[in-house]
Amino acid sequence: MMTLKTHLHDEHVKLGAKIVPFAGWDMPIQYTSVKDEVLAVRQSVGVFDVSHMGEFFVEGPDAEQFVDHLVTNDILLAPLGKAIYSPLCRQNGTVIDDLIVYKISSGKVLVCVNAANIEKDFSWFKENHKNFNCRLENRSEEFSLLAVQGPKSFETLKPLMDQLPDIQYYSVIESTFKRRPVIIARTGYTGEDGFEIFGAHETMVELWQKLIELEVKPCGLASRDVLRLEVCYPLYGHELSEELTPYDAGLGWTVKTSKKDFIGKEKLASKPSKYKLVKLVLDKGIPREGYPVLNSHNEPIGSVTSGTMSVVLNKGIALALIEIDKVPKDEVFLIDIRQKYYTAKLLNKTFVTGGHK
Amino acid sequence: MATKIPANLKYTKDHEWALIENNTVTVGITDFAQSALGDIVFLEVPEKGTHLKAGSTFGVVESIKSVSDLYAPVSGEVVARNSDLEGSPEKINEDAYGSWLIKVNIQDASELNNLLTAEQYQEFCNTSH
Repeated sequence: MMTLKTHLHDEHVKLGAKIVPFAGWDMPIQYTSVKDEVLAVRQSVGVFDVSHMGEFFVEGPDAEQFVDHLVTNDILLAPLGKAIYSPLCRQNGTVIDDLIVYKISSGKVLVCVNAANIEKDFSWFKENHKNFNCRLENRSEEFSLLAVQGPKSFETLKPLMDQLPDIQYYSVIESTFKRRPVIIARTGYTGEDGFEIFGAHETMVELWQKLIELEVKPCGLASRDVLRLEVCYPLYGHELSEELTPYDAGLGWTVKTSKKDFIGKEKLASKPSKYKLVKLVLDKGIPREGYPVLNSHNEPIGSVTSGTMSVVLNKGIALALIEIDKVPKDEVFLIDIRQKYYTAKLLNKTFVTGGHK
Repeated sequence: MATKIPANLKYTKDHEWALIENNTVTVGITDFAQSALGDIVFLEVPEKGTHLKAGSTFGVVESIKSVSDLYAPVSGEVVARNSDLEGSPEKINEDAYGSWLIKVNIQDASELNNLLTAEQYQEFCNTSH
């Protein structure tokens, strides 16, 4: 299969990145060391090329109403300038994708979706847009997207941008970099303070080069996955899928059944879930996706959906989906790693606490 | 990417190195392998006395993001394992050829002919990626 390359591909090659196919794209998985990249983001600042992600623009008088009708979270309630994380569900309540809705200005909404789901999502948007007075555009190919993440991201970016006020976490503004338009959101997928900057390809290549010159650590998708897993953010295709509802993934807080009407509302009103998503930590062994989870009687009760070695904890960590009627009362979980059973401890909080406000 | 391939060692296509001394083979993973894996965080190797079969898996090495099987270069009994690596497997990243995993007693010397020379391994690395 032919893979796509982001406009920053040459920059990645220059930096010696290890490049792998991901969701149809050739993406940098790591530059020097996953560990160093994770620590840079937790302690200082790193930059990710996430240009593979999709950008839809919804513009017109009904823009906010239309998006609110599609997603489970409440878009209308949030003020202009806010970003809202939400699942996108079918009528039956299963998850098509998870995405971020950016209320840029009145009648102008940007929706950022997962790379692997761009076509599927956009078809769904088009199918459901008949009764709304707004334009719908898939502008994914026009935009590059950089994520600048870490406690030093604001002080790094502020002098570079023509204007960057100290906006709240999960906010968005239109600004300029070298007098060229960019959309700057204080969002990310790491748990740390950080920004995601959308702009034209050439603009973003220049911004990338500037950041590298300032010794911002280039970070690949491997460190991004460790970072998101340490703070328990779900990843589509792992904790979320067309087989699962938001309640299966512990995303009940994003389903606002109190709002007027949205696709899937009827089904989701009863909070349907077949699984419970649990957070497990191990003293020994590294859990990986697909490893079976067992109870104290060695009976299978579910499986790991994402697992890795946590860089911060230096322990194996996992998110696992457990069949709802098999969640053990004694809270004893075993993970089958190459036919050996390792005891895992159930956590009620995230593995790592990110520093975002 | 420049990868170190010492001339005095033999190699497998699964990126293990083998140092042959008298009746014993010392086994590790190559510089190419450690570099491809990235930060090594976990190692599982067999106990002394375990019997290995050439070409079969004898353990695993895990980086933060991946799990890789280890393959025995020769058949025989494990006579030593490097306990220094248990608590600090990242030493393999620092010095792949100084970080041996196990020593195996050679059972069938003819199997040594199946291993690659440094030159052949270099050639293999050049063409396999």
